[in-house]
Amino acid sequence: MVEVTKHYVSEFQAFEKNGARNAPAWVHDLRKDGLTIFNQLGFPTTKQEEWKYTNVTPIAKGTFKYSGSAVTIDDEVIKNFLLDGVEQFVLTFVNGHFVPEQSQTNGLPEGVIVQNLINAYAAQENIIQENLSRYATHQKNPFTALNTAFINDGAFIHVPAHIAVEKPIHLLFLSTKNVNDQSASYIRNLIVVEEGAKANILLSYRSAGEHRNLTNSVTEVIAKKDSAVEVVKVQKESESAFHIDNFHAHQHETSDVRVFSLALGGAIARNDMSVIIDGEAAECNLNGLYIVAGEQLIDHHTFMHHIHPNCPSHELFKGILTDNARAVFNGKVYVESEAQKTDSKQTNRNLLLSDTAIVDTKPELEIFADDVKCTHGAAVGGMNESHSFYLKTRGITEESAKGILTVGFAAEATSKIVHPALRRHVDLLVVEHLREKLHSASLPDIVHA
Amino acid sequence: MIEIKNLHAKVAGREILKGINLTVKAGEVHAIMGPNGSGKSTLAQVLSGHPAYEVTDGQVIFEGQDLLDMEPEERAHAGVFLAFQYPVEIPGVSNSYFLKAGLNEIRKSRGLEELDSMQFLKLLKEKMKVVEMDSSFINRPVNEGFSGGEKKRNEILQMAVLEPKLAILDETDSGLDIDALKIVAQGVNKLKSPSNATIVVTHYQRLLNYIIPDFVHVLVNGKIVKSGGKELALELEANGYDFVKEELMQTT
Repeated sequence: MVEVTKHYVSEFQAFEKNGARNAPAWVHDLRKDGLTIFNQLGFPTTKQEEWKYTNVTPIAKGTFKYSGSAVTIDDEVIKNFLLDGVEQFVLTFVNGHFVPEQSQTNGLPEGVIVQNLINAYAAQENIIQENLSRYATHQKNPFTALNTAFINDGAFIHVPAHIAVEKPIHLLFLSTKNVNDQSASYIRNLIVVEEGAKANILLSYRSAGEHRNLTNSVTEVIAKKDSAVEVVKVQKESESAFHIDNFHAHQHETSDVRVFSLALGGAIARNDMSVIIDGEAAECNLNGLYIVAGEQLIDHHTFMHHIHPNCPSHELFKGILTDNARAVFNGKVYVESEAQKTDSKQTNRNLLLSDTAIVDTKPELEIFADDVKCTHGAAVGGMNESHSFYLKTRGITEESAKGILTVGFAAEATSKIVHPALRRHVDLLVVEHLREKLHSASLPDIVHA
Repeated sequence: MIEIKNLHAKVAGREILKGINLTVKAGEVHAIMGPNGSGKSTLAQVLSGHPAYEVTDGQVIFEGQDLLDMEPEERAHAGVFLAFQYPVEIPGVSNSYFLKAGLNEIRKSRGLEELDSMQFLKLLKEKMKVVEMDSSFINRPVNEGFSGGEKKRNEILQMAVLEPKLAILDETDSGLDIDALKIVAQGVNKLKSPSNATIVVTHYQRLLNYIIPDFVHVLVNGKIVKSGGKELALELEANGYDFVKEELMQTT
């Protein structure tokens, strides 16, 4: 591993010299700490339980280069990635660098901050310092450590108490071909939603073109008392790209957090999604949908941590797999002894459309309280014959039934998204992706309205 | 309308239907009664084309066509409808989308123009009155979280929308309380016309108080052993199926 990390040490030296100097001193310290830890940990191997099914050798072997500056992307191209026909606040980043010309935050309610991290330090240093890296600890996770070493830019959102931002805040992270083919983007987001505040956030990870890059993203969401936050993540990077995302939500009492992960792109995409429910009567809905084709591997590792009593948490992750694709779902639920009356439900269902696709699904429940309701279920199988027959008896042809049931399978997951514009955006992407991957132009648009 | 001749069928290697003969004409209501395991539901499933059942002998002619030679969807296009005993739940697919897709495929197969969303919604709302269904069911996923009664009503709603020539109701009364039973039966009666026919498969006579059959057939051990008018159902109710079995023993 020494040989591999050596590349990142020299990358780090160049990074600290070039442009990234202007961060506060404590950020420099944080970075150094991140690099030290990364050097100690090295890249994970399949001998480690957490990485048993996901071999990151192609990432470890690739010498991904930090891309020093933003590349300009045509407005017309950017437009394709925005919410169609919906008013939204947008921050655009290309290869991890903020593009002010293609960002728009006019009309935000007073006091709400939606800014790129670098520009936010000046006025918001205290709140950033208080929260950044507090929940996304890098002591054990090499990719978070590497991301921390390269903390530079990303989004900073702060919604003050009792303010509701109804229109979606769209954080668009585009990767594109840089000077060299193998570029690395390090994205760091911090989202703080204060007491009684509300926000709807779309995180888009998209590619402009087909290229083999590495995106390493870390997002921390802090939902204070009584707040309501919906975060939808869309990942449709290039199919030769590598995508590593560590998402952390920290919930205070009576907060309501909904997270949805739509995973479509990448040769290897790994999503670690962890929610710490650190307050009584807080509710978390953590859902997702992955569609994997070709030789792709998409991995979700979720961690739902119940600390206090009376908290419901619901997880529904669904997957559609075809060709030689692979998917991993590992859902950990940890209920501490204090967390009585926890109501936790976890479901993972996979639709296999080829004989050669593989799913590894594993629930992990650790429960130390005695008065709880915790259920989990996992299913892997082909098209449901009884559903198909039912549709056919109503006159629907075999081919159409297949299409309706496939889109319906996905729609059960996407129906968990509450914000209508975000749901629509996801549904359209899902159908477009399914049409392409299943080579079926006849798939219906929408089967739920 | 339909002529079933010497129909034999098996499932998982076991013969269930052992030579069914039945003719149903337009405008008629036929009830098929029988004890559990007699093959009533198998007959319904075989007529709708369920792939798990293998027809080993016999013939079914529907409106001049060889029904057994047709795919389930082709049977629906031709005008066969099965109201399921256990309607399946389909998460993610709305009731209205499902029904519109079915109706339009049937219309297409008959050379009729497909209905657009507005036209369909209007039709659907009209038909929902037939089964006294609340409009909130339109956008709910097919049968998901429906009570037993709601599922059965939803079956009759589908029948109302698709307007089949031959409707086969498989144990439509099972799991219904008396109010739901009346609504379902009224729905079926409203849809009755001189040009369509109904086969009611049921274990109990109860449903036949509300859907009055022209003929009653008793199915025992894969064969129709006795046929008669509506009074046969009452006889069965009073004496149970054993009396038919006893009669059989005496005659054989």
